[in-house]
Amino acid sequence: MFIIGESLNVISTKIGRAFKERDPVPIQEEAKKQKELGADFIDINLGPARKGGPELLEWVVKTVQEVVDDIPLALDTSNIEAIAAGLAVCKGKPLINSIMCRKERYEKMLPMCAKYNARMIALLWGPQGMPRDENERAELTVELTYAANEAGVPNEDIFVDGIATPVNVQQDQVYSLLQFMPMVQDIGEGLKSTCGLSNVSNGSPDHLRPILNRTYMAMLEKCGLYSAIADVYDRDLVDIAKGKRPDIVEIIGKVMDEEAIDMSSLSKELQDYAKTTRILLKKSLYSDSWLEL
Amino acid sequence: MAFEIPKINYTGKIKEITIGAGNKTATVGGRDCYPFHLFEGTMPHPPIIAMEIWDMEPDNWPEAAIEPFKDVISDPPAWAKKCVEEYGAQIIVVQLKSTDPNDKDRPVDEAADMAKKIVDAVPVPVVFWGTAVSEKDEQVLKKIAEVCEGENLSLSPVEEAIHKSVGASALGYRHTVVASTPIDINLAKQLNILLGNLGVQDEHLLIDPTTGGLGYGIEYAYSVMERLFQAGLTQEDDKLQIPMINNLGNEIWKCKEAGLPKDELPTMGEPGRRAILMEAVGAVCYLLAGSDILIMRHPESIKLAQEMINDLMAEN
Repeated sequence: MFIIGESLNVISTKIGRAFKERDPVPIQEEAKKQKELGADFIDINLGPARKGGPELLEWVVKTVQEVVDDIPLALDTSNIEAIAAGLAVCKGKPLINSIMCRKERYEKMLPMCAKYNARMIALLWGPQGMPRDENERAELTVELTYAANEAGVPNEDIFVDGIATPVNVQQDQVYSLLQFMPMVQDIGEGLKSTCGLSNVSNGSPDHLRPILNRTYMAMLEKCGLYSAIADVYDRDLVDIAKGKRPDIVEIIGKVMDEEAIDMSSLSKELQDYAKTTRILLKKSLYSDSWLEL
Repeated sequence: MAFEIPKINYTGKIKEITIGAGNKTATVGGRDCYPFHLFEGTMPHPPIIAMEIWDMEPDNWPEAAIEPFKDVISDPPAWAKKCVEEYGAQIIVVQLKSTDPNDKDRPVDEAADMAKKIVDAVPVPVVFWGTAVSEKDEQVLKKIAEVCEGENLSLSPVEEAIHKSVGASALGYRHTVVASTPIDINLAKQLNILLGNLGVQDEHLLIDPTTGGLGYGIEYAYSVMERLFQAGLTQEDDKLQIPMINNLGNEIWKCKEAGLPKDELPTMGEPGRRAILMEAVGAVCYLLAGSDILIMRHPESIKLAQEMINDLMAEN
């Protein structure tokens, strides 16, 4: 599982201020830290960046590459001109985060992706917004990957993002993404995939967010997920992603395969992973106290 | 090959809850199938229509709602008695409108005195419903719990913000808690868990999923109730095997369509009959969603809804 570090992000007060004041220090510290923690990509999230976006992204890319130039960057803003400016100065093979399934946007952005030989996240957000189930996800994937191929972006460079949703309000959609993952290879051989993992725990109590993120990642990986935009500061999460916690992955897999499990023989930690897997499979209705039941 | 009607595989059962105490009780729940699916399971207790009264003379009711109660409408205990004696109410719900801090703001002690008088006046269980201003509800419901110790009243709405203090009062003075959440399946489950952690037994719990009026969110409430009962009946979710109560009459009669005169709303029929039918149609929806205690206002709408219950519960 490849991890795209999510925390070089304008919503962080420290990073947001550094973007605004063009202060390289916090940005470079963050990039170095993500590399040390095991990020495979570093996502630079500017938010909408309506004013001065191109100049800002160009500056942030250069600033990061001064200290970390061996990890590819993900360029994350809805400002298309900013993405273009960022691509022009990226070393290596950057990842555009993201190109959504709306014609007026992808017609501009796909040629840009091809021109710079970049990778792209194909965000399954269509003209009607969020897809309602796995079948609508599949429809959007077909449309967007076809257009991308036409524009000269091969499947290998496309990361399909089926959109992770908060389990505390959209448990059905959390399950739907799991159902969708195996369809990706059927739609296009060689397609890669990703999702904004932390969204699954958005709105859940802070101390319980990590176990939701980790469990969902392992579940999605079993269904074919290639990468996740995630919190690299969660060491257990990175360990699971890098194959260092086979015990956790095994128990999650057993619950998914509906194997009989003797809960009393498990450690508290593994019991919690089993319970969390059941919630994400919508075997039981979510509540903030799911681990206490 | 003979056709076989597909059946749901139920694995759970809604708990049987008795409200009230002594010889003033009513029992709901016990159902092991979807509402009125008597071809798949049993409903030992049909839903009960509870009649609402206010703890003050209403100042904004349409004429049609006042008419049946005009002789008692300024005397809450007499009003409650009339509901039981004349209209056969099995449960009385007292809307504590006088306590609204944004309106009359009646002091806690006075409200509790009136509550006690109403409880003493009727031979049926009583539900007290606050104004959903949680700071005031907290004080009023706690005081009512105290002065009516042991009556097993139902106290509502108990939202998460006040569940500890009102839940503790209900435990101490032996009453039932109405767990109230804002049309949200996950929060509904969570509040039941929190009340359970506090020590409130399931036998002393009802769910208020929040009731939407006809044209004002009824479909959301329906979906939430449907999903909660699915969890309770088919997913062995024992936190959601609790009967539900719906404060319907209040939602129907407060909307503008219930009261507008015919010349302002010419396409919707005579105002009196219009509102009665709105309440009855709302009742059909909530009964089919699985409501166990349905709070209604007008005797005519109640009659219509009761006929539907009787028909659906009939053997053939």
